Amino acid sequence: MLGYTIKRLLQMVLVLSVVSVIVFLMMSFTGDPVFMVIPIDSTAAEIEQARRLLGLDQSLFSQYWIFLSNLLQGDFGRSYVFRQPAIDLILERLPATMEMVLVAMGIATIIAIPLGVYAGANPNRAASRGIMAASLFGISLPGFWVGMMLIFFFSVRYQFLPSSGRGETIEVLGLRLSIFTADGWSHMILPAVTLALATLAIILRITRAGMMEVMRQDYIKFARAKGASRRHILFAHGLKNALIPVITIFGLQLGDLIAFATITETIFAWPGTGKLLIDSIYRGDRPVIVVYLMLTAFIFVAINFLVDIAYTLIDPRITVK
Amino acid sequence: MMNLRMIATKGTLFAGALFLASTALTGLVDAKSLTVGLTSDAVNLDPQAGEELSSNILFYHIYDPLVRRNADLSFGPGLAESWELADDTTWVFKLRKGVKFHNGEEFKASDVVFTLDRLKKSLMANLGANISSFKAIDDYTVEIKTPRPYAVLPNDLAAVLILNEKYVKEAGDETADLKPIGTGPYKLVEWVKEDHIALESNKDYYAGPAKLDTVTFRPITNGATRTAALLTGEVDVVQDLNVRDVDRVKADGRYKVLAQPSLLNVVLSIDQREKSPTVDLDKNPMVDHRVREAMVRAIDVGAINKVIMNGLSTPSEQYVPASHTGYLDGASFRDMYPFDVEKATALMAEAGYADGFTVTLDATNNRYVNDQQIVQALASMLGKIKINLKLNLMPKSNFFGYIRVPSDKSSLIMSGWDVPSGDGGSMYSVMFYTRDKKEGYGQVNRGSYSNPEVDALIDKADATAKLDQRDKFLQDVTKILMADIPMIPIHYEQDLYAAKTSVDITPRADKFLWAYDIDVKE
Repeated sequence: MLGYTIKRLLQMVLVLSVVSVIVFLMMSFTGDPVFMVIPIDSTAAEIEQARRLLGLDQSLFSQYWIFLSNLLQGDFGRSYVFRQPAIDLILERLPATMEMVLVAMGIATIIAIPLGVYAGANPNRAASRGIMAASLFGISLPGFWVGMMLIFFFSVRYQFLPSSGRGETIEVLGLRLSIFTADGWSHMILPAVTLALATLAIILRITRAGMMEVMRQDYIKFARAKGASRRHILFAHGLKNALIPVITIFGLQLGDLIAFATITETIFAWPGTGKLLIDSIYRGDRPVIVVYLMLTAFIFVAINFLVDIAYTLIDPRITVK
Repeated sequence: MMNLRMIATKGTLFAGALFLASTALTGLVDAKSLTVGLTSDAVNLDPQAGEELSSNILFYHIYDPLVRRNADLSFGPGLAESWELADDTTWVFKLRKGVKFHNGEEFKASDVVFTLDRLKKSLMANLGANISSFKAIDDYTVEIKTPRPYAVLPNDLAAVLILNEKYVKEAGDETADLKPIGTGPYKLVEWVKEDHIALESNKDYYAGPAKLDTVTFRPITNGATRTAALLTGEVDVVQDLNVRDVDRVKADGRYKVLAQPSLLNVVLSIDQREKSPTVDLDKNPMVDHRVREAMVRAIDVGAINKVIMNGLSTPSEQYVPASHTGYLDGASFRDMYPFDVEKATALMAEAGYADGFTVTLDATNNRYVNDQQIVQALASMLGKIKINLKLNLMPKSNFFGYIRVPSDKSSLIMSGWDVPSGDGGSMYSVMFYTRDKKEGYGQVNRGSYSNPEVDALIDKADATAKLDQRDKFLQDVTKILMADIPMIPIHYEQDLYAAKTSVDITPRADKFLWAYDIDVKE
């Protein structure tokens, strides 16, 4: 286990350095960030001064070298636009995104797994067919459209829930959170549901497929013959063995939502990290983009690690090495 | 009966008591507040850290300039009570006494000197380009020298916001960026990034406290969400109302829509060099005046206004709006060169280009309103006179680096230009002055236009400290430019706002939403 952890950590460092090199190279092909932050009629001397102030007068290689050596001292670089440390900008917005993503994943899981088990165990019932048809909507409807429709019905038409923002927040352990206030929840529901839909549909379909396969196995027949209760058969024998692909997808979706909840955040004016990424790309704010994508890579690697650990807990035949 | 009446009386009394209680309550919470939906969050609250509209809007609530730019682009006293020219290049500003910063520090000449000094070393050094030296004569007098006579220095100073020397030095840049201290009509209460910025009225404001006690700015990037937030009552005013929501909002009696022609002139620059990088001929046909005239005549600005802009644009007559120096009364591109495809075709043939030519047009696809549709329309309009346009569209983050002078990759460029200082000369000197002839001149002359007469007139305009003389010289430049056509002006965009009818708001020409001018009716 320890060896495995160390191996994964080394992998993580490798992934992060590759990401940083790729992002740095990509940046050199995009626009010149100087022109995003200074007035357009600046003279050559003023442009040079700005370039010096931003550290862009150095070659790409030495910029990368400076970035790396600062990184080892815990300095992730400064945003050109905000002039604040890039990592602070991201961490400041991360609680809002995490909160929304976790609520969305919670909604998706709580609804998708029972429905998936039901549809997988009784594939021919009308209700199962209905669930599967509905899940197609969840996969194919674009998030921005769903978001706009929710706003139209629940905010504008019936004035039932607010359309945007995060509402009242309170500080818990130094983090600004809205899940502990009623106002916060009323702001949270629409974006979380919007974000949850696609994931819900995917988890549902994977669970169903897994259940259908498992239910044909001999041990299920055996359990049935033994006289185990239907509920026990479905959840203890069936779901447990169908869960491995579900967990894999869960992990991937979780990472995906944390890193790229951009559209939902933009529509609901949710003050999270996704909007920061988009804005930074528009503004050519390289330090923020680099740190953001590295953090994203880190989150994916970390989630995959946790997913692998979860495999071993569910299926003792799987060992990590 | 008796009983009923008694009940009725009691009911009335009760209702009366409730009414009294409620008026007493409203008397207590008389505070007027306003919530504004902006298109984006401020990135920084340090006015010398960069340039972006939302940040600019916030700056003017918190800080004051020496010279105030009014809603109609006229200029008046700000932190400076008066100013005068000591000689052609020396300005003396008399400062207002008794003005206090939000931290209680008194505003003095040393703060002005500190601000200008810091400005010169900042990303916004451009704002101080026409200042050569400055010093405090006494606590309330500042002397500013310009490298040459410069009649519009006060206009420029309207964009320079005064910082508190003591605070910025003690707190450091990073803190000052986030927790600004100025002399402005509002103080910062709280800034939760991407969620809201709350301001409260500065009761000691030199021009009297604002009518609104608190103002909250909320960044709502998505246009449809901004409209929804207005319709649900979450915000009172929105900036940049979506064009497609105009009718919907107007139809609802609780709201009003306000439109204001912007200062942003969308223009088409034409390469004037003998050989142009993307033209498929050996010689650049656009050097020929007849070809340029044919281009103007082939472009139906009225159709662009009607079909693409939904009527929400103002076809531009000249390179600068009527409020600016250099504007020539009565002159209009539309009258000089009316839309006429036949005439345009004839001009092309006369110039020897009956078979036309191919050229690339560089433009943005996310910077100006409907920019992509406009250039597509231009391609079809110019196609009718056999000028085959290839479109090279890119996002603004690439565009401004791509078209920068002297990269010389472009033959035709569609871009926008605005001059919030109200001085047409500042545009003419960077856009039409011969390139590489004089430091600070011609640096965005994207068509490499060169006309010694224009250069000489700009030199004269820049050598006089008298505003009316400057205006005269610049009007002569306008006359020459309109005859020469180095650039085709298309239209001014329109700034759209929507507000609850109870909000008393008049849009400013410079797009700066300033809550100090806004009131809310009961």
